Amino acid sequence: MALKITYMLRETGTNLKRRISLTIAAILTISISLALFGSALLARDGVANATARWEGGIEFVIWMNPEADADQDAAIRRSLDESPAIQSSTYVSQDDALVEFQDMFMDSPDLLDAVEAADLPPSYRVVPVDPDADVVVELGSQFLNQPGVRDVVFASEAIKDIQTQADRISRGLLWVGVVLLFAAALLILNTIVVAIGARRQEIEVMKLVGASNWFIRLPFMLEGLVHGIVGAGFAVLGMVGVRRYVIDGFSESQSLALLEGLRVTDAELFNRSLWVLAIGIAVGILGSLFAVSTKLDV
Amino acid sequence: MIKLENVSKSYKGGSDAAALQNANIDIGKGEFVFLVGPSGSGKSTFIRLLNKEEDPTDGRIFVAGKDIGQLNSWKVPYLRRNIGCIFQDFKLLEKKTVAENVAFALEVIGRPRSVISKQVPAILELVGLSDKLTSFPGELSGGEQQRVSIARAFVNRPLILLADEPTGNLDPNTSVGIMRLLDRINRTGTTVVMATHDRGIVDTMRRRVVELDKGSIVRDQAQGVYE
Repeated sequence: MALKITYMLRETGTNLKRRISLTIAAILTISISLALFGSALLARDGVANATARWEGGIEFVIWMNPEADADQDAAIRRSLDESPAIQSSTYVSQDDALVEFQDMFMDSPDLLDAVEAADLPPSYRVVPVDPDADVVVELGSQFLNQPGVRDVVFASEAIKDIQTQADRISRGLLWVGVVLLFAAALLILNTIVVAIGARRQEIEVMKLVGASNWFIRLPFMLEGLVHGIVGAGFAVLGMVGVRRYVIDGFSESQSLALLEGLRVTDAELFNRSLWVLAIGIAVGILGSLFAVSTKLDV
Repeated sequence: MIKLENVSKSYKGGSDAAALQNANIDIGKGEFVFLVGPSGSGKSTFIRLLNKEEDPTDGRIFVAGKDIGQLNSWKVPYLRRNIGCIFQDFKLLEKKTVAENVAFALEVIGRPRSVISKQVPAILELVGLSDKLTSFPGELSGGEQQRVSIARAFVNRPLILLADEPTGNLDPNTSVGIMRLLDRINRTGTTVVMATHDRGIVDTMRRRVVELDKGSIVRDQAQGVYE
């Protein structure tokens, strides 16, 4: 068994080194495509975090004074429930707001330490029946001067625009990533086919002396797997760079105040990295499996 | 050891004559059989069918009592571990030394390193190449290359040795040396089936001769001659 593993690793290493230019091309293609794919997923996460409070058709938020009494709160709730112009509303308590805040700023322990539930005002997130901007502003303004209300904030056109554009860009990146992944799989397939051609005589001898089918196939499949894993590894490094220099850069930008909530947590980055690694492994295995099952007659 | 029952083989798009037609033969353990006949008579097809490089169009082939037509594809390598093959063109790996070429046959079937390090020098001594362990095939004569090929085919002690024109590229004196080696291997109990055009060898050895003509067995003679 030990000899078999040593043999497999040695043959895989030899294959990779023999056609180093093809190996590099396959790894670069897979890493660029996976980096684009992963970055698109991170961008989606970032925008979702930045615009979380505006998801689900929410058009305005009624911020209550933390000191508002139960009667004032009940009056607002009754108005929202009874208004035929309002489809639904959700109450976000101070505790709920703290949980949301903790999720959003989980990578900033200093900020988390400085904020308590009492610092965060409760709110109502409102989904109107008619999302027309004028109707929404008129509807929201009715609550502005009511007792206990601190402010009414509308989902601005800018936020809607960011959601739309970010969605479009990330969808585009995803598609480019998918097309490039297909190209990477084809490149891996061709690399393995070339490897099989270069070792045709060796393979013929292996068949003659009774090497098992998988013993012949496995070094080629491991080669594809190495392409996938190394490519995915570089892609993850690229994703770390995208978060550090692009997404965090946007969130720190003073001129893009709307994007200050744009951030990707460590957990999200880890999760997306696992996705990218799994896809890299799958592409590597599928490309090489297709090559050995169609071009390697054992 | 080997039995063919009504075996026929034809190729798609080939000539009208089948490569092998309704062949019936029984070869016992430890026999030495020459397959003779003109080019295209079916000798190489016969060899390839025994090694399951090809499947018959009709009929059944038994090797060591097993119907090899019923073997799953994943079991074919295990069949081949019991069948050694040598060829006219040697099929040696040019970038491997003599010892590495022979060791390769054991390595790829998962034999432990300790076994390989014992068996390789022993088999190379048997074929008379103890002093060529680190030579590359390109540095050897044709006869020496065929000896390496025989060592590789026999190192795993197969039950059967198939030889397809093993002396086809060698001069008569070298051929005699190769035949002595095959005879020696045969005396260990290994069944040898050898396709050949070499009249001198067949007439000298006086072993069983099976003659093929246009895919049919036309003669099966004990202690026979070429024709």
